[in-house]
Amino acid sequence: MAVLIVDDSAHSPSQTNLLTQTGLRVYSHVMFGQTVAIARNTFREAVRDRVLYNLIVFALLLIGSAIFIGELSAGQEIKIVVDLGLSAMLLFGVFIAIFVGVGLVYKETERRTLYVILSKPITREQFLVGKYLGLNLTLLVNVVVMGLGVMLALLYVRHGWDSLAFGIWPAILLIYFELLIITAVALLFSSFSSPALSALLSFFIFLIGHFSSDLKTLADTGTSLPTRWLFRGLYYALPHLSNFSAITATAHGVTPDKRAVAGALIYGVLYVAVLLSAAGLVFRRRNFK
Amino acid sequence: MKTDLLLAIVLVVCLSGAVGASRWLDHHDHDSANRFAEEQLYLRGRTARRLTLAFNGVAADWYWMRSLQYVGRKIVKFEDEHDGRFELNDLSSLDLRLLASLLDVTTALDPQFIPAYEYGALILPEVSPDQAIALLNKGIAANPNSSRLYQHLGYIYWQRKDYARAGEVYAAGAKLPGAPAWMTAMAARMKAEGGSRAAAREMYQHLYESSNDKSVKEMVEHQLLRLDSLDERDAIRRVLDAFKSQNGRCVGSWREVHDELAAAEIEISRLKEEGSVRAYHMFKFDANAAPLDPSGMPYSLLSGGCDVDLDPKSNVAR
Repeated sequence: MAVLIVDDSAHSPSQTNLLTQTGLRVYSHVMFGQTVAIARNTFREAVRDRVLYNLIVFALLLIGSAIFIGELSAGQEIKIVVDLGLSAMLLFGVFIAIFVGVGLVYKETERRTLYVILSKPITREQFLVGKYLGLNLTLLVNVVVMGLGVMLALLYVRHGWDSLAFGIWPAILLIYFELLIITAVALLFSSFSSPALSALLSFFIFLIGHFSSDLKTLADTGTSLPTRWLFRGLYYALPHLSNFSAITATAHGVTPDKRAVAGALIYGVLYVAVLLSAAGLVFRRRNFK
Repeated sequence: MKTDLLLAIVLVVCLSGAVGASRWLDHHDHDSANRFAEEQLYLRGRTARRLTLAFNGVAADWYWMRSLQYVGRKIVKFEDEHDGRFELNDLSSLDLRLLASLLDVTTALDPQFIPAYEYGALILPEVSPDQAIALLNKGIAANPNSSRLYQHLGYIYWQRKDYARAGEVYAAGAKLPGAPAWMTAMAARMKAEGGSRAAAREMYQHLYESSNDKSVKEMVEHQLLRLDSLDERDAIRRVLDAFKSQNGRCVGSWREVHDELAAAEIEISRLKEEGSVRAYHMFKFDANAAPLDPSGMPYSLLSGGCDVDLDPKSNVAR
């Protein structure tokens, strides 16, 4: 990493300012390049992992089988292809996000490659973000491939063009953002816990995330003030994953409302930022000696 | 190498043994499978919806296909026991006790699954009209703008001869945006002459036009043939009554009234893809001058030639 030493005494204030800005630009460029390098390596590692290939093949097979199940459905082939395809995409995405996500930090510490990486001028936050982006790229490839599979299945079932072939993509975008949150959750847990426990906790968060509306109901109907505050706190602290569920509506040909999608995406980005910040805080304090 | 061969042999032999054991169990444990086939569902719809998280759509599809297969299996069994003859009118004899629960779970998992409500509206009235009405009311609550659900609910009330309620449902459905214009007229007709044959014809014709289901269309065709046959029998009875009042006796054979029957015109319905049309038709006769019913079987003279009925072999619904 380039080390920038700015000698203020040799330059005028405007020159100093210019040099500082240039230095920051170089510094941020280097930081970004290092993070991208970690992300790229994480993606390569995931792609080399045969488990990922198996999941893709299995998901595509499942989507293919939707065509045959559709024939048993009395005219509901399109709905079943979309339901099954998008549900498979979410399910396998969640498995990848959790089981690969919890190993992101653990594998590096087990193989002791983390020490080599952190001995370089790379911050721990950079390492975490790079790992996170790498897995996100893997998930993106998965989701896009599966989405194309669902599209092809739709075209096959319809024997021609169907508007749902494009109509499924907003729901796929929401699924992807749900997976981004789950990945961040897995990364947070893996920053301080063992893979098995991290996977279990991440899966619990996935479950609770789909029951978040019940927490709000409990908060609204609680009899005592502490109870109401507790559930209200939990409601806002835990992810609202039901905001990202548009599979059933999409299967009926109903495209999610643009504002609702935009709101969910903004919520997703903010929540991921919270999780990554928390993961960074924990990981910074972790003692690897 | 020897170990590999030994392992491969063990694998093949054990797999063959497992397949054989499964087949034996399937064959000898048939009763236990049947014992639980009609067991009530463990999950209520609302519980199932909560447990399926974001996968409620695919779970609804699963229950939907289960509903279809449940009815399908019963039909196949019925056909095996009745020389392959099954009509939708035979549904009440199928003992479809689980169907309401299956459709309830399906629609709880996916409240916008209109085909499930429609399927229940057509099949459930033969099993339990109350459950059919409950299912459709649930569907209307979840899909308040679906005029087709109102149409099906009105049909069920009409089948129950509750013409006032049927009229109210059609009137409510007619107010929805995009509702077919005939629903307003049907609402008025239900109140004025709900039990008439003309109202029945209209009801079946609209059902035929609005359904994409082949079996529903077949059922409607059968019901319209039944109505045609009822009109034909009324016309024959008028001819037989006239003969009796002129001759002081009932007819001895169809030949005695052949000319009068040949001159009679009956108004019937003809279904076409673009809708139904009204038409007039004349009787057709067999070699013995007996008039033929809509399925092509000759009518039978009863009560010594004073009355008429369908031939026992006729395919027209009774």
